[in-house]
Amino acid sequence: MTSHVPLMDKIQMELGVLEPWPKDVKLYQPYEVEQILLPDNANCLAVQAFLRMCNLEFEVVSKANAEFMSPSGKVPFIKCGAFVISELEPIVQFVNTKGITLTANMEGDQKSDMRAYMSLVHNVLENAELYICWCDKETYNEVTKPRNGSVYPWPLNHIQTWSKKSTVLKKLKMMGWFNKNIEQVYQEVENCCQALTDRLEGKEFFFGQSPTELDALIFGHLFTILTTPLPNSNIANIVRNFPSLIDLVQRVEEDYFKKKVKQ
Amino acid sequence: MGVVHAKDSGSGLPHPNINYDDCEGVETREIKLDGVKARVDRVHVNGLARTKNDIIQDVVKDLFAANDFQDVLLKAQKVRTKLNSLGCFQYISVFVDTSKGPSATPHGIEVTFHVRELKRLVGGINTQVGENEGSLVIGLRAPNMFGRGERLQTEFSYGSKNSNNYNISFIKPLKGKHIPVFSTSVYQSTSEWPSSGYRQIDQGLIVDFAFNSTCMIKHNLQWDAAIRNLGVLSKSSSFTIRESSGATLKSALRHILSIDGRDDRIFPACGTFFQLASEVAGLGGDVGFVKNDVFLQSNYSLTDDVVLQTSFNGGILNSLGDDYKITLSDMYYLGGPLSLRGFRMRGVGPHSEGDALGSNWFWSSGLHLFTPLPFRPGKGGVGELFRMHFFANAGNTGDFEGDDSIIERVKTNIRAAYGVGLAMRLGQMARVEINYCFPYKFQESDLAQPGVQFGIGVQFL
Repeated sequence: MTSHVPLMDKIQMELGVLEPWPKDVKLYQPYEVEQILLPDNANCLAVQAFLRMCNLEFEVVSKANAEFMSPSGKVPFIKCGAFVISELEPIVQFVNTKGITLTANMEGDQKSDMRAYMSLVHNVLENAELYICWCDKETYNEVTKPRNGSVYPWPLNHIQTWSKKSTVLKKLKMMGWFNKNIEQVYQEVENCCQALTDRLEGKEFFFGQSPTELDALIFGHLFTILTTPLPNSNIANIVRNFPSLIDLVQRVEEDYFKKKVKQ
Repeated sequence: MGVVHAKDSGSGLPHPNINYDDCEGVETREIKLDGVKARVDRVHVNGLARTKNDIIQDVVKDLFAANDFQDVLLKAQKVRTKLNSLGCFQYISVFVDTSKGPSATPHGIEVTFHVRELKRLVGGINTQVGENEGSLVIGLRAPNMFGRGERLQTEFSYGSKNSNNYNISFIKPLKGKHIPVFSTSVYQSTSEWPSSGYRQIDQGLIVDFAFNSTCMIKHNLQWDAAIRNLGVLSKSSSFTIRESSGATLKSALRHILSIDGRDDRIFPACGTFFQLASEVAGLGGDVGFVKNDVFLQSNYSLTDDVVLQTSFNGGILNSLGDDYKITLSDMYYLGGPLSLRGFRMRGVGPHSEGDALGSNWFWSSGLHLFTPLPFRPGKGGVGELFRMHFFANAGNTGDFEGDDSIIERVKTNIRAAYGVGLAMRLGQMARVEINYCFPYKFQESDLAQPGVQFGIGVQFL
């Protein structure tokens, strides 16, 4: 992923070191109540969790066109001074340039281990979420279609949803997920959860006592899967079979989301 | 009597000034044509294949009303122009003869039109110049599809700024003395605005009804429905531009009134052009506004080839309330070689990090003095494609917010520039200008462009 970042951005990011974390950082995402879809919500929550873990201040801004505002076409993205950065990994890198990191005490092989698990989550959970939203007929008609089109007037809502569907399907075809049937998708999710549980080994967080971006990412995805009401709740039921992951989700929610509200 | 080749009745044709008294050895005799009685007995139209009789009958029936010979000639010419405007024929000639045969009346005349129909499919590849962009156009046309002047046109263009556009339109001339024409088109047009940091892809449908209320006043009633996809052009675009990206749906009704009394479009020597366009958006879709634009250009010949031109352009955009969006492409921009010379493209008005944001109203006005090239090189030939011009232009732009009255704001902070340049005619439609500009009055936020400025386009201020 880093290899795609142009030189200019790298220079800008280096320059970013000079300034501390500003107070007016904004995180842009689609409307949570009526618009956002499961995969996007998972990614937004993951970034929020990461920023909270780093104890960084930010303000969530809901925008109907957040997806189009984002430099990569994906939500969420943050605006920090003159910088606009989208998606979890680039945001983690950007935060690192400010000297803030959750992985300071980790060894090199632990870091690469973490990256491997993060890409596992991206490849399995994210694709499974996309599959459920766009390929499962019931979910598509009852949830995805009305929500994705909610911010557009007729007939633009149909056109936008249709064009997004074709983009997502193209992506799923490329990743080899389109030809899977729903049972195979469930199996993939179950395997992924099993792998994560094995790695967790009953610890508090994946890498010891303090959370990392991997915990943030897993929290984002699992919390969204567990709490989003869908006509098809099989995926949530699969996740519920892994109590140690549920514990992790609850721990992150307790420590980083509920506490803040109390303050 | 030979074949009368009628000429276009359009303005601007020089009248031949022949003094017949000077012609020696030729016996001349004057005949007053309007005194010669005539009655059109018959009209023939030769060469019709798929064109339906009824539209031809409709066009030629005026001829039967003629009652002297001059009238016959004038009407025959008018009919020829009308036939030509149907867009069905490649070639039309008129032949007038006395009528013969048993049914001929004493002053009887027969008029014959020889026509050649256009082929069923006409295509071409050509280049086109639009507003500061050149493009390669591939066009395909099916004229006179069903025999009543209907035509289907498709056009695909590949622009020099990487904008791919297409346009498929169907045009149907209707019957009636106001020359009504119905047309509808589906289009995609891409435009890039580096000066505003965005690019836009429009996909839409236009339904247009055009008619003339008098011979000079032309009306267009249009319904335009378009999906506009606004995207950020580069990473360095301002965040304000980023915030307005995304798709919007516009559905608008438009009325365009135009009166063109000029003798030429590119370098007019006399006459006035006036255009008033009113647009109401918000009939469906999420974009809503009322927009009124006016353009006025007047030309006066000072001497034989020195022309003074004045022009005024103005527009006002009113919102329909907070429920409706107004996007960057709906706003007014000022500055650039086609609007306010001496400033960069969209260089006047509010900017955010170097990107023009547009405003709710603008006006601009220009004064030109067009002269032929000094020492008249290529006189009567290539030289006629060129003009020197001295110009001064001024304008202003702004929003409605604030305490000052609108009149006060229109008058304050006027931007102005003057200069001298060379203008060249490019075919019958476009003009190229190279100017040396001196910005005279401008604001700190404006992007003035002193020095050489190059412009190519259709409508200049």
